[in-house]
Amino acid sequence: MLIFRSIISIFLREYLITFRNFYNVLTVIVFFILGVLIFVFAIGPDKAIYSQIGIGIIWTLILLSTNLSLKKLYQDDFNDGNLILFYISGISLELIVIIKIITAWVFFQLPFLIIIPIVCLILNVTTDKIILLILTFIISSPILTALSSISGSMNLLNNKNFAIGSVIIILFSIPIIIFSVNIINSTTVLVTPQLNILLGILMLFLAITPWISATCIKIAIRNK
Amino acid sequence: MLLTNNLSFKRGSKTIFHNINISLSPKKIIQIKGRNGIGKTTLIKILSNILVPSTGEIYWNGKNIKKDSHLFFKNFTYIMDTNTSKIDMTIYENILFWKKLFLSSISDQMIESLLNLLQLNIYKNVMVKYLSYGEIRKLELCRLMIEQKKLWILDEPYSGLDELTTNIFNETLINHSQNGGMVIFSSHFYPPITSIEDLPLEHYANI
Repeated sequence: MLIFRSIISIFLREYLITFRNFYNVLTVIVFFILGVLIFVFAIGPDKAIYSQIGIGIIWTLILLSTNLSLKKLYQDDFNDGNLILFYISGISLELIVIIKIITAWVFFQLPFLIIIPIVCLILNVTTDKIILLILTFIISSPILTALSSISGSMNLLNNKNFAIGSVIIILFSIPIIIFSVNIINSTTVLVTPQLNILLGILMLFLAITPWISATCIKIAIRNK
Repeated sequence: MLLTNNLSFKRGSKTIFHNINISLSPKKIIQIKGRNGIGKTTLIKILSNILVPSTGEIYWNGKNIKKDSHLFFKNFTYIMDTNTSKIDMTIYENILFWKKLFLSSISDQMIESLLNLLQLNIYKNVMVKYLSYGEIRKLELCRLMIEQKKLWILDEPYSGLDELTTNIFNETLINHSQNGGMVIFSSHFYPPITSIEDLPLEHYANI
């Protein structure tokens, strides 16, 4: 039971730190909105085009802003030795990774739930599509966070080159993008099977991410 | 009791040190000495079970720390050369976090008197990023009292401390060793404690 006290204290600490660096969250949201606006200015005021590519634009920018925000998920804690402290404290690193993923999801992905409907107005997306978009976002965003956790922990192994991490995120998120966009644009019969596939991918990543990230962190601690 | 057996460490093909035998029994303080870059921090990381030695084993109370790492981690405090306090949290929040993370039973009164002793009490609700280096190091040393473990492994504990804090820290070391604790630390400062045993790393370095 005592371990729950430690877990809650780690949660609290993560929330405090992220909350006091709230400008990081704002940066991501501003990047997202500006990206959508730039698309609008670049393509022009033709409404018919947006009903076809609107969802694609939104998903591309969600992916890019996730990549922007979570690249350094573990970097600060690694540099000041806090990961070693966690390692010594007896709480398994897998648990730390899960806590980090939950915090990152709450702070960096949940705000999109408010922003996406607003952006949908700009891109002329209909209401029934907005509902589906939010549903796919709720399923797919934890996958993106998990992927960022993997790439973030891999980035610890080399502290100069962040390109490898970005490549991993973008490569692995191709299937997520394909299904998330297709669900919204396909006929009603095909919605449930594709949602099931997305849920399957989510389960897979929730299962493997803590192990992969924790192993990467352990190797990084050993090599520091 | 911490025992090491023929410890040696290689980086690539270069041997950093070899055949180190340490026996750290209760009430003993060991100081690791040596010039810059000779491997003091490396040795400390090996003793903390963070790096793996090339040859040799380390035993804590007769058990190999590689196999029973959980048992070993429960019994030692590690002060690193980096500052583990979070800069976006206040002193008190940091201390409270450590207290809960290490499941410590230190009372609020103890924390209060500890902060008073180290003259950190006026900054209790100030974020760590506004403190000076010496004050951050003092906060780091608070972890020794919060965790209340038997074995202390300290990397450069004297860096940044003023004269008053150095004296307080010396007394803490003596008290800890008299209560059956064990200390191993690296420093270029030679504290005036008679019971300290030296471990000159020059003798073990590969020439």
